[in-house]
Amino acid sequence: MIEFAIFFFFAAIAVIFALVVILHRNPVVGALSLVASFFALAVMYVLLDAPFLAALQVIVYAGAIMVLFLFVIMLLNLQHGSEPATRPVQQFLGYAGSAFFGLALVYYLVKYTVLQLPPGPFLSDARAIGVTLFEAYIFPFEMVSILLLAAIVGALLLSGRGARPEVAR
Amino acid sequence: MIPTSWFLILSAILFTIGVCGFLTRKNGITMFMCVELMVNAVNLTFLAYARQFHQLHGLIFVFFVMAIAAAEAAVGLAIFISLFHHRETIDVDEANLMRW
Repeated sequence: MIEFAIFFFFAAIAVIFALVVILHRNPVVGALSLVASFFALAVMYVLLDAPFLAALQVIVYAGAIMVLFLFVIMLLNLQHGSEPATRPVQQFLGYAGSAFFGLALVYYLVKYTVLQLPPGPFLSDARAIGVTLFEAYIFPFEMVSILLLAAIVGALLLSGRGARPEVAR
Repeated sequence: MIPTSWFLILSAILFTIGVCGFLTRKNGITMFMCVELMVNAVNLTFLAYARQFHQLHGLIFVFFVMAIAAAEAAVGLAIFISLFHHRETIDVDEANLMRW
């Protein structure tokens, strides 16, 4: 089955590049690996019958948010490995705790989610999403637009010159 | 068709990688990228259950999560720029004014 081959190939890409994000010391390499991981996740969205959200994933996440990350990393000139070493006890507790958490998560997923295969294809084109968004979810949609406006104002205020105390006084 | 459980397990693995990175790294921006990784893992879970139960609500939630992640990224990165202006570093251990 070609579908399963695509799933395993892109799942492997997503996991490998996610590991590069957390293991590589250069944040630029981490950000670019995260873009690759997000592209692989967009393929997963296509496999889940949601091509509109796959397009949003590529445009919004890989296109906009990660470019913002890269801009900030390059603006702060962080690519020369200025990160100090983590304490060994923190490293050990982090790896051990997250490994335990992940194993428990996968164990309970395998044990308790016995799901039937869904019947037939799932119709979720942009039209159906738009109708649902503007009928049932119109109030949260407007709230999100206000939230984005507040985020723009907050980001300008925090990163502008007014945030420095000697200028604010 | 690919079973829904496989997507859930992939999502669990990606979420765990995000948790691990968040706990073991000290660079603020890398920790932030790990948060984005966890957010995407949860998005994958939403979409997997949306297809499983043929509900559009999961897709709408992914839409909102993307909008909130964009707002969070803008404000968070602005905080890191401000922190860098004050302290010349984005090591999160250095920002310890409100610790303990």
